[in-house]
Amino acid sequence: MNNKKSKKTVGHYLKIYFFSLFLSLIIFLIGSFLKPQFDCANSKTCKSDLIVRVDNDVMGVFQGRKIIPPKVELAMGNTESPVLGVHVTNSNKHIYIDLSRQILYAYEDSQQIMSALISSGKWGRTPVGNFNIWQKLPVTRMAGGQGTDAYDLPNVQWVMYFYKDFGLHTAYWHNNFGNPMSHGCINMRLIDAKNLYEWADGPNSKQLGTAVSVCSEFKESDIACIQNNSIN
Amino acid sequence: MFTLRRQIELETIFLITICAGISIFFVTQKNNFQPQFSIASNEPQAQVPAEVVTPKITVFSQISPDGKEKVIMKVTENNDGTKTYAFSTANQGGDNEKHIFNKTSDLQIDMTIPFNTWSPDNKYFFIQENSTNGKSIFVFSATGAQFANGEIYLDITDLFAKANTGNNFNQATGWASESLIIINTTKENNAEGPSYWFEVPSKAIIQLSTKF
Repeated sequence: MNNKKSKKTVGHYLKIYFFSLFLSLIIFLIGSFLKPQFDCANSKTCKSDLIVRVDNDVMGVFQGRKIIPPKVELAMGNTESPVLGVHVTNSNKHIYIDLSRQILYAYEDSQQIMSALISSGKWGRTPVGNFNIWQKLPVTRMAGGQGTDAYDLPNVQWVMYFYKDFGLHTAYWHNNFGNPMSHGCINMRLIDAKNLYEWADGPNSKQLGTAVSVCSEFKESDIACIQNNSIN
Repeated sequence: MFTLRRQIELETIFLITICAGISIFFVTQKNNFQPQFSIASNEPQAQVPAEVVTPKITVFSQISPDGKEKVIMKVTENNDGTKTYAFSTANQGGDNEKHIFNKTSDLQIDMTIPFNTWSPDNKYFFIQENSTNGKSIFVFSATGAQFANGEIYLDITDLFAKANTGNNFNQATGWASESLIIINTTKENNAEGPSYWFEVPSKAIIQLSTKF
């Protein structure tokens, strides 16, 4: 009776051991699946700091290196109300971002207004999907990342957020456009970002801001946006 | 009968008119031939065999990301079959032009200004030379100032080869920061190799864990 009880005890513990392993695996997988895929592009500023901000006397940091940000005079920038703009917007404007070729296209109806090389997410993914510009800021400060990827960049100009704190904006700290180079945002040359900012609309009391489609691939010939793993 | 004759006459007049028109067109083209000057274009023009001895000059330029400066490349096709490349920098409006560098080479060698040529602070720019031996990248100071050892430019490809990294230079994509050029490489078996930073002006070559 005792021997039988002893054998049963070993099997019992083995079962518990494997069941625990299995349960841990299940919890790990569910936890990974439930984790938000796109928290914020600029985690330090996502909730509270999406504001117009000029820091002319602060050094920037990117890739562990100090950067001298350009001096910005706010009066020189577009100081329109960031959320409730006063302009009457044109709903036929549409921005497409081709992640495969790292090109941004701006259309008004079927007419292409501009195209420009961009840098999308390298250290963080750029979300694929269909959005609208929800906030325009002529200048702000962006910070985020961790460890060697930490960054703190004052005086980022011509910012247009389209999903959470993922936005289109200039990047004065690198010149590697046409290649992924961001933490999830869409980096543009200053001259391109400024032109796009002046053309695109923020939201107003009557309608949403200019549409932004982030595409896995974009076909210019028929203005077709192909989206894989779209988040919406 | 009358209708047939009238039709023949109309066809004759039509053919004569067409022939005259074509002749006038060719004569006008021949008489008005002038060398072509292309300004501020980023794409090379189609090369047409020269019928006159006037050298053909083509101008290319690339503006800095902030739109304040530009690199200008003037390509002269010489009568002896060579090309002369003249590089200069200027502000956006073309004022304050500074001559930086001249190079004459044979037709098999082609020089270009890459899209990401300018360093983010507009202090440096790089150009690319394409030949049957591959690509070469030369970095210049935007003011034309010499580097520490009196060099007018830094030959990144040569410096990379001398560093004996075990990988082959493939391309320079652009600038990671104000003084870092991103270099992509291939391995000996032509597989994708690691990326590097080339630091200007220290000439340091730094291997990266991240691929660009």
